[in-house]
Amino acid sequence: MPDEAAAPTIPEVRLRDLRPSAGPVEILARVVAFQRREVTLRSDGSRRPLLSGLLSDGTATIRFTWWDPPAEGIERGTVLRAVGVEIGEFRGRPELSFTWRTRVAPASPAELPKVDTEENPVRPVAELRPSDEGFRAEVRVVRVAARTVSVGEERRVVHEGLVADASGTIALSAWSDFGLKAGEAVRIAGGYVRGFRGRPQLVLDERTTVVRLDRTDLPDPAQVLRAPPRSIAEVEDEGGGAAVALDGMVVGLAPPSGVVYRCPTCRRPVSAGVCRLHGQVEGVADLRARIVLDDGTGSATVAAGREVTERLWGVTLAEALRRLKEQPDPTLIAEQMLEALLGRRLRVRGPASRDDFGLTIVPESIDPVDVDLAATADELAARLGG
Amino acid sequence: MSLRELAWRVTARELESSLEEEKGGGERPVAHVLSPFGARMNRVLVAGTLAPAEPIGRDDPPTFWRSRLTDPTGAVAVTAGGFQPRAMAQLRAVPVPRPSIVVGKVHLYRGRDSVAYVSVRAEAVRAVAEGEERAALADIARQSLDRLDLLERLEKEPAVTDETLVRSGAPRPWVVAARDALRRYPNVDRAAFRRELRSVVRRVAGDSGPVVSPGPPPPTVRVTRDPPPAPPRPAPTPAERQDESVFLDLVDELAENSVDGYADLQDLLERIAQRGVGGDRAESTLNRLEEGGVIEEPIVGKLRRAS
Repeated sequence: MPDEAAAPTIPEVRLRDLRPSAGPVEILARVVAFQRREVTLRSDGSRRPLLSGLLSDGTATIRFTWWDPPAEGIERGTVLRAVGVEIGEFRGRPELSFTWRTRVAPASPAELPKVDTEENPVRPVAELRPSDEGFRAEVRVVRVAARTVSVGEERRVVHEGLVADASGTIALSAWSDFGLKAGEAVRIAGGYVRGFRGRPQLVLDERTTVVRLDRTDLPDPAQVLRAPPRSIAEVEDEGGGAAVALDGMVVGLAPPSGVVYRCPTCRRPVSAGVCRLHGQVEGVADLRARIVLDDGTGSATVAAGREVTERLWGVTLAEALRRLKEQPDPTLIAEQMLEALLGRRLRVRGPASRDDFGLTIVPESIDPVDVDLAATADELAARLGG
Repeated sequence: MSLRELAWRVTARELESSLEEEKGGGERPVAHVLSPFGARMNRVLVAGTLAPAEPIGRDDPPTFWRSRLTDPTGAVAVTAGGFQPRAMAQLRAVPVPRPSIVVGKVHLYRGRDSVAYVSVRAEAVRAVAEGEERAALADIARQSLDRLDLLERLEKEPAVTDETLVRSGAPRPWVVAARDALRRYPNVDRAAFRRELRSVVRRVAGDSGPVVSPGPPPPTVRVTRDPPPAPPRPAPTPAERQDESVFLDLVDELAENSVDGYADLQDLLERIAQRGVGGDRAESTLNRLEEGGVIEEPIVGKLRRAS
């Protein structure tokens, strides 16, 4: 055990100033979100409880993990003072972990640094990155819709949508009802950014304030939702986008495509009858396609769910299952699907993200693209000069 | 990173003109065939009329099939083997020449005669309606033109940075390919290729497709052409010029004094060594002069001034 007197002055650090390489620190922050779970240790197979989530002190919002947390007394909004917190790193961002060495005690919200959100700088949404906080955004609400989700045991309503300024577009999720409506211009203060499915997402919670603005210079919703397609190379270069449009040709299917089996509880794919989370389960058949769309500048994977796949392929899940019964070879289904899709020209709209395997887009809409051959020939002939 | 390779939209002519290759490194190397017109191809998408396939090799049943895809600019071999069972089945299923789209990997094979053979190993083949073939050719023509424009810009502004080009809308992989093309093919007639694209545009406008003779395809698909242009020789240095002139003086002197009118190579090398030009330097001077057509060796060991 370290001697208490030997480490008397661990500095209290603002979350904004955390650096992954620094030693243990003292922090003061509010629990913004958390969940409890248990992990099985690889070393001896024992189960160990942990609590993980997000901490914020008004300067930044950071992921944290608390090993062997107290069984109760932690709520959303609880302010904690923690001494001897380890700083780790995940995908280039600092992360905190409370270990057996860390001393944690409740603190008063009054002790949190005073941050007047109205004095925060206005930042363009294209520049926002996960864990950013302490900024204001002046944006147009492109669209917004309420959805009920379960967070642990709890059912909560989240308002999800898309907001835009001149710099770009960012996804939004509001955990309180701010009465947001598509088309209105707003100033958002006291929100933070988290990474969600590989893209930054602007999060509004009960500490956030929203002010209506009278601004005509922000992009209007139709402009964002019907933006012309861009080259795949360009979107890949930018790491994706909250609302992008891609035009391309189907050049292949990436596995898994075709009939897949999902866990009836969490819908994760089942492999060899086992769900990653729920163990041995009776998988539920589903249809999906990971379409490789290519425009000659790059390629993107279109992650199509059942409805889109059925519409594009013209074969329903029921029909695919019937074929599978007749010829029990799943690769055949994928082949028949590719034969129907290869060479099709599609315009795909939706959020796109980039990872080590390239660009993936989740389609909100897929439409066939028609080519006006006569007009195209004229245009090309003019470029070639007769 | 194991990013999927993009499918370059190219004509048969561009494939036929591609003589340079770049082997990748690392754990899973990816080879690229470089075209003089700004494509750096691992995978391509080609469109045109696909002829019925013929089996290759003596395996029974055949495990390798070859066909030919003809577009308005030329033709390219399309192959499929046992490792692409679906593509092979599709290739075999072509009963008569039909408009088709082929996606596949480019292979460059250089024979002993240093003739380069380009083929496309099919990953996916699809017979399409004529309209779809023309639409694919429209893409091919437009992107070929866009790439030529990019090459032209790079030639005019060699100092322009990649970032500037990308910001002005050039796809990053195209910029890489264009720089490679200019470096590897310094003397290529790109204007001629641009003119050839007119035939593709006429096809897009609705002219009838390339005429493909009915019946079986020729026994082998040979894509022959001139060996690759030799890299331009650097101009000789003053020191090399000095060696050359010493060399030539000696050739003249020995030839004049010999019975048969030739300079004996052995004598020559001995004499030139005495003047301080020995071994490798003498050898390379000799080679330069022979390749430059200044002297010749009509009989082994006997030199004279080239006539």
